[in-house]
Amino acid sequence: MLRTASKLLALSLLALVNTAQAFTIFTCEPEWAALSKELAPGAKVFSATHVYQDPHYIEARPSLISKIAKADLVICSGAGLEAGWLPALQKRAANRKVVNGADGMLYLSQFVATIEKHKTKFFSTEHVHPEGNPHFHLDPNRVSKLARVISQRLQTLDSGSRLIYQQALAEWQKNWQQSQQRWQQQAATLKGLPVVVQHTSFSYLINWTGMEAIADLEPEPGVPPTMAHAQSLIDDARQDPPAAILTNWYQNDRAARWMSDKTDVKHLNLPATVDLKGDINNLQRLFDHLLSQLQEIQ
Amino acid sequence: MKRKALALATAVLCSQANVVNALEVGVILDAYHKSENTALGGRSEGFGSSHSELSLSQDVAGFATAQLALIGEWNEQDRDLQLEEAYLQSSALPEGLNITAGRFLADIGYLNATHSHSDNFSERPLLYRAFLGGHYFDDGVGVSWLASTDRYWRLSAGAFTGDKLGEEDSESGIGTWTLSTEFGDDIGNNASWQMGASYLRNNTQSSDHHEDEDDHEEHDHAGHSHGAEYQGKNLYLADLVWKWAPQGNNRQQQVKLAAEYAYVDNVYGAEVGHFDGWYLSGVYQFNENWSTGIRRGRVNLAEEHEHAGEHEWESSRLTETSVMLSWQPTHTQRLRLEYKQQDADHMEGADNAITLHYQIGFGAHAAHGF
Repeated sequence: MLRTASKLLALSLLALVNTAQAFTIFTCEPEWAALSKELAPGAKVFSATHVYQDPHYIEARPSLISKIAKADLVICSGAGLEAGWLPALQKRAANRKVVNGADGMLYLSQFVATIEKHKTKFFSTEHVHPEGNPHFHLDPNRVSKLARVISQRLQTLDSGSRLIYQQALAEWQKNWQQSQQRWQQQAATLKGLPVVVQHTSFSYLINWTGMEAIADLEPEPGVPPTMAHAQSLIDDARQDPPAAILTNWYQNDRAARWMSDKTDVKHLNLPATVDLKGDINNLQRLFDHLLSQLQEIQ
Repeated sequence: MKRKALALATAVLCSQANVVNALEVGVILDAYHKSENTALGGRSEGFGSSHSELSLSQDVAGFATAQLALIGEWNEQDRDLQLEEAYLQSSALPEGLNITAGRFLADIGYLNATHSHSDNFSERPLLYRAFLGGHYFDDGVGVSWLASTDRYWRLSAGAFTGDKLGEEDSESGIGTWTLSTEFGDDIGNNASWQMGASYLRNNTQSSDHHEDEDDHEEHDHAGHSHGAEYQGKNLYLADLVWKWAPQGNNRQQQVKLAAEYAYVDNVYGAEVGHFDGWYLSGVYQFNENWSTGIRRGRVNLAEEHEHAGEHEWESSRLTETSVMLSWQPTHTQRLRLEYKQQDADHMEGADNAITLHYQIGFGAHAAHGF
């Protein structure tokens, strides 16, 4: 009895020590949290945002400050996506492991080429980023490259668990390659399909599948759809109908629904990222879901 | 060997390039028209610009951030340019510590340390205008500490020259010092809150100092004044903020409620025991472009009156209600229409006013706190 009790005590102490020492990852977007969970099996992973939130507009809330203060590694898309809130979190949290320039602060945009780079002028009111489109998690090739980047960073920061990270990466890569073959077959049927988008959330997926974004419901990048602009798209669509109108879960899709009603073009409201609390809780499932939804529009 | 050194040098250079961020430059232009002068400062009547801002920010060798903000104000009576921020803030201290040195906004109350261009109303609440000169910045040193608790808990302290609090320079070396603490968390998926308490010790005047009568008369309540007009040895502040957005997606919709209370005792220059004040504000952003809000506030003060040839102190009161509608056509622009109503007891200068306020930002735009 006593022996069992002491064993239990030792076990619970071990558990306590383990949780205290667990490598802690804070991600700005849920896609990187999902990827980190697969690449760092023992780590504590927290995502600052979820699929129903527009990652451009996040409050630098107290709860996020205390989370980032405890992080060993922060993983963000970068390219200006979090410029409105991440610096406020870093400033308040005063966690030197994750300040800009530290190994614990990983901006993934520094490791992949971005598309849709805009030249910006100082006295311009347009809401575009010279760093390009930050929604690159919707390109399977870029994700594959970034999985290696994340794994390498984990191995550098937490060298004690290097083997675990290497194994996890190898496993992930094997699955990803298999899935990618399947996705390529699905994508082949989508090539050349014209779609209307709202914001550039799906640009990387559209490029990867060879679809074509022929119009944007946003009159200017970052500016919400206006009725006048939607009306002009409706007029164009009657002449030359697109295959679908794409919006994502965190957007106001009123203009898209209106356009769909007027033109009979199918409206697809798709998740722009993984839903950590739902069924589509990793990037594999996200691509499976997106590609199967897109099959319906042909 | 040479090649190795070269590789090492390249590696060092590359890591340096990673650390050093470019200078960030931001400009905010503000333009308004206000129909009448109102009591206790704020914006003055007519066309003008209040709080136009040029800000510079630069990472310093990976251990600190340098920040500079130059503020310009123009109106029909006055024009003014002043340095509001010029500080270094550490970014590489252990244990959640942070040190700030130079000229910066004192870390007290909810609004004081925020930049006024992010305010939801065209003027600061009454209690800020009465007790802190709109917002209090000064030359000094500040330290803050974030506890490693699960719930957000932060402590901060500051010591300042005190020269910027009133219209005159401080009588003592450390004219003011501050202490503050704040807590905060989320409530479910949709809401979050923060509450704080702060204290400002004001040693810029001695307790027995009786303000010169003529000096007091010089205060033009309608005109522009930087200093806090109503001061005391101790200022206590309490604040509570609650924000709500469906699923935490504040791009589409958001409700913000804020309340603050201030209490001043050992009042300088007036024969009353204490001043106090409060405000409550509610702002509802109902879509990406539009928001509306209401704020009601009051300050209980004292004014000097001449009665039968004698100077007498009489308690006074000013109540203010502001209603606003704001349109944000793009991320960087905002047009706001605001109606303000003032009711005063034993106080001059109260009036009602309509303000039309336009604001546009260029360049880098610093992230906003909660």
